[in-house]
Amino acid sequence: MTAILAIVKRLLASNKISFIITALVVLCATSSGDIVLSNGNYTWLLAVLTPFFFVFYDFTKLMYLGTSKKDYFFSCLISYGFLAFGISLVNTAIHLLIDPVYPAQTVINMMDVCKWTENGIVAAGLQQMFFLLLVMVFLHVLLSMQTHWYGWLTDAVLVAIICIFTPIAPLRAVLTGIFQTIMLNSNAVLHIGICLLLSAALSLGGLVVLKRKTL
Amino acid sequence: MIELKQVTKQYGQATVLKNITLSIDKPGIYCLLGRNGAGKTTLLKSIAGYQNITNGTIQVDGKTITTSTLGTGVSYIENFAKHFNLPVRKLLRIASEVNPNYDYDFASEMMERFELDGKKKFHHLSLGMKTMVSTIICLASNKEVILLDEPVLGFDAIMRVEFYDMLTESFQKHPRIIIVSTHIIEEIAKTIQKLIIIDKGSVRFFDTLQSVETKAFRISGLQKDVEAATRNLNVIGQDSVGGLVTSYIFDNPPKQTASLEIHPLSLQDFFIQMVGHKGGRTR
Repeated sequence: MTAILAIVKRLLASNKISFIITALVVLCATSSGDIVLSNGNYTWLLAVLTPFFFVFYDFTKLMYLGTSKKDYFFSCLISYGFLAFGISLVNTAIHLLIDPVYPAQTVINMMDVCKWTENGIVAAGLQQMFFLLLVMVFLHVLLSMQTHWYGWLTDAVLVAIICIFTPIAPLRAVLTGIFQTIMLNSNAVLHIGICLLLSAALSLGGLVVLKRKTL
Repeated sequence: MIELKQVTKQYGQATVLKNITLSIDKPGIYCLLGRNGAGKTTLLKSIAGYQNITNGTIQVDGKTITTSTLGTGVSYIENFAKHFNLPVRKLLRIASEVNPNYDYDFASEMMERFELDGKKKFHHLSLGMKTMVSTIICLASNKEVILLDEPVLGFDAIMRVEFYDMLTESFQKHPRIIIVSTHIIEEIAKTIQKLIIIDKGSVRFFDTLQSVETKAFRISGLQKDVEAATRNLNVIGQDSVGGLVTSYIFDNPPKQTASLEIHPLSLQDFFIQMVGHKGGRTR
């Protein structure tokens, strides 16, 4: 366990660029008019950037330091959980403390857009946390596959699904249904359950990919 | 213990390892010799579980090794290993944190001995110093199998001598299987117990240095005399200039006669004869 915590510490410490970019965007982003975007939305950027560093920057270096693949895998999951909690906490705080201060009439925060705030701020924070965990695990698995043919195939399939499903009405309804289930879901228990289930399934997929990973 | 059974590795049409069967069962320092492209790195990476083989099995302490093995008990380092761009001392400390069996005292001692500046960041070190840091991390890991891929690349003569001493000390402190791949044959001879020669993906030789000292000879003389003397011996190479012939044998030497000159082969000459190439042409 000590080794895993040390790896978590290293993963987070070597993720400085993601932290800095996210902080700069959150602090510097401006919008004007009656309807504005909450700066808290940009905290999600950290969830998108982090897997790139964990997969492409940290993996090789940790292996050369003598880390086992098993420890790397669990450390990544713990780090994603920790970051999802942190991002959710910051965005929730911004939504509660900074968004009401805006002179604009409407401030759009993703927590409202996704209907999570309908269940109260604590449930919204939790829903956001588990959704972000799912996003990070999904990106981690997708990025890990990029060195293999099946990674490219997955990319092509994802692009094809979006391109084909969007213009055809019945298929678009299916796509909308998927997004409503995993993102725009006001049922907190169902939403958290689905996010956890998908995260677990993707993690298992990630483990299979990690087992094939060469150095 | 390392056990390779009929190990073959192919990259597309190219076969890099050909049906290798090898068993290393005793702790010791082993030297892996081979020409560039002979398959040394592929062999070491396969034993470390950093890449998969096409056919055969690799076992370390009874555990089958593939990329799926999540914890191998093998530590492998190559000379261009990438590390976090952190001060050397911090890098060694992190290595000790992520690896439960790591010998931090040994790593610190080696850092001092090689006059590595603990405050200097990894990317600011010279090639030799970078390799030294990687090697220290690998040796201090205390895993049961240590694989060092061309560790002396970029070292000056003094660093190389220090490195061989470090290797011996590390082994004496914690006996285990250490395989060192190198091109500088004669220097490492004092340090190693056994020699593995690999050529074109096949193991050509796996034995002790003593066997090379007692069985590897160069026999020169007139063609008929040399041929008669080496008729039933294991001839590994031959040179001829005019009517004079030099045969290289790995066998018990023939009796010394006035018409023959018999000299022991140096390790380097033995290696050259074993891999059997000269100017790209097979002898």
